[in-house]
Amino acid sequence: MAEEALVFDPYEQLATLQRHHVSFVVIGAFARVIHGTAELTQGMDITPSMREDNVARLKNGLNDLEAKRRDRRRLDLNALDEPVMALRTRAGELKLVPEPAGTRGYDDLRRHASRESLGQGVRPQVASPGDLARMLGALEQPEQLPTLLRLRRLIELERERNRGWSHER
Amino acid sequence: MRGGELIREARTRAGLTQIELSRLTGRERSVLARWEQGVISPPVESLLACVHACGFDLPLVLVPLDESMDAELGGSLLLPPNERVRLLLKELGREPARTRR
Repeated sequence: MAEEALVFDPYEQLATLQRHHVSFVVIGAFARVIHGTAELTQGMDITPSMREDNVARLKNGLNDLEAKRRDRRRLDLNALDEPVMALRTRAGELKLVPEPAGTRGYDDLRRHASRESLGQGVRPQVASPGDLARMLGALEQPEQLPTLLRLRRLIELERERNRGWSHER
Repeated sequence: MRGGELIREARTRAGLTQIELSRLTGRERSVLARWEQGVISPPVESLLACVHACGFDLPLVLVPLDESMDAELGGSLLLPPNERVRLLLKELGREPARTRR
């Protein structure tokens, strides 16, 4: 039977996790959109802190979002030993990626992440463009190359823009 | 893209600390740090030496410059993050609720 398509509502996902004080960094396509790549995505990828107390808060947040595994197996965050756990929530798709390719997980990404104000009181930590490029590169998937080149070009344009501003001052 | 960023990317992907990369390449750790921070730029030879020490290669190939996406990316950069998300949701066929004050 075909799965019911759920409407992607990033504000609902992020606000719920924020309300439960979950520590996480937004990664993947949605993070790239926040930085300006203007690509399309219908889901959220996050790297949560895997500290015990945070996993407990994450569990509460996911309960609130009515999260279920896409593969219909039982959702057990204590056995989060797979690279990606794909979930369906009442606010669309959400993927948990404890240790994205080429990184050491939350503590690694947090160092260069920035808090971005998205409106409606939502202010998630978002992985830096450099770290997002590192993840894409580490995937070593040829189909990701255009996305990586686009991101690298964005980084370059942003640098040129900042350089222009500093010259104007 | 800065050479130092590529060194940091290669080093972290290889799971090396700056001290370990310093030992592998014979370069001072403080120099590696300044390259990675963008304070100074590494020479191409040093960039390649660091990337190789991390177990990667960096093929240097000249290709035509592609500026076709610059207008779109440049326009997106002028927007604040909440506007970029709003445009995404609009593209997906739905407008987000108005920002609460």
